[in-house]
Amino acid sequence: MPYFATSTEWFEQSSLLLKARPTTTRITSKYTVLRPSASKIRKRKKYLEKRPNLSSTNNPSSTLANPSEPTATFKLKTYDPVSGTCLKYETNKAAEVGRLIGSLGKLSRHMAALPDVVDDFSKPTEMEGIETPTREKDVKVEVGVVEQKVSTGGGGGKKKKKAKK
Amino acid sequence: MAEAHLSNDDFFARLTDLFGHNRRKGHGSVYLTQKRLAFDHGSDAPSPTKVLDDPLWDMHPESPLPILIRASNNVSSKGDGKGRPITDRKNVEKIKLSTIVPPGQIDAFYARYAEVCKAGMSGLRKRDKKKKKKDKKKKKAVEGETKG
Repeated sequence: MPYFATSTEWFEQSSLLLKARPTTTRITSKYTVLRPSASKIRKRKKYLEKRPNLSSTNNPSSTLANPSEPTATFKLKTYDPVSGTCLKYETNKAAEVGRLIGSLGKLSRHMAALPDVVDDFSKPTEMEGIETPTREKDVKVEVGVVEQKVSTGGGGGKKKKKAKK
Repeated sequence: MAEAHLSNDDFFARLTDLFGHNRRKGHGSVYLTQKRLAFDHGSDAPSPTKVLDDPLWDMHPESPLPILIRASNNVSSKGDGKGRPITDRKNVEKIKLSTIVPPGQIDAFYARYAEVCKAGMSGLRKRDKKKKKKDKKKKKAVEGETKG
């Protein structure tokens, strides 16, 4: 199964799977720090040389900013060995960890066969806190993409301006 | 499982160590798994007849079930030069932790779990950095336009 684009999508599908198969489904989270190999560093450097726009200061991705920096990821995998269903989500943002563990907690309520009802007063606030950042994040990601497009297309734009002058 | 389950407090202490170990090493993985603990309890164990009578018995257990949480690191070895090439890695032994969370304590457990994981996963990208970079990017873009 491919990775889901958003954590909310992963959470919804996982909770459906857990409802259907609460005994066999497991959730594995993996936090990995990978030190890049020498060839990977070379590739990253080459990539940076090709695109001067993505130099270390104005680049949102830290792995590209410093070619020898290790890449850290946090992966979530919901797997049911009986049906073979596998649902995955991957992130590299520290800001998402708290929310993802929160959703793990909610999913474990399904596992424990606890009712889904909101019995704590803290829960609704958690829910709000959990849902709003995802929207923000989605918007941010889109903004980032748009900005990148703008910056890569910026060269063309500048040329046009020069031509006008 | 050969090893005894830890208490929740011990588990958090050891998990913090595990993350610290990973950080000192500079690379490596931490695996966290959670699943329903269904077969350790005599009363809840599904007898074959029970499963036959009601194939969906696990959808509505009589009482809430505990959750089993496991944590481990990745094993790494130098390699023997035969099956695997010899690398400059150090031999790292497997560290395995596990704990059982009773259904009543799930919310409290996950609150602490989130704290430990947030502190432990220090390699991930920070939000603040990104914002600063974005600002810089905007500034640079502006500068570029003025220069152009």
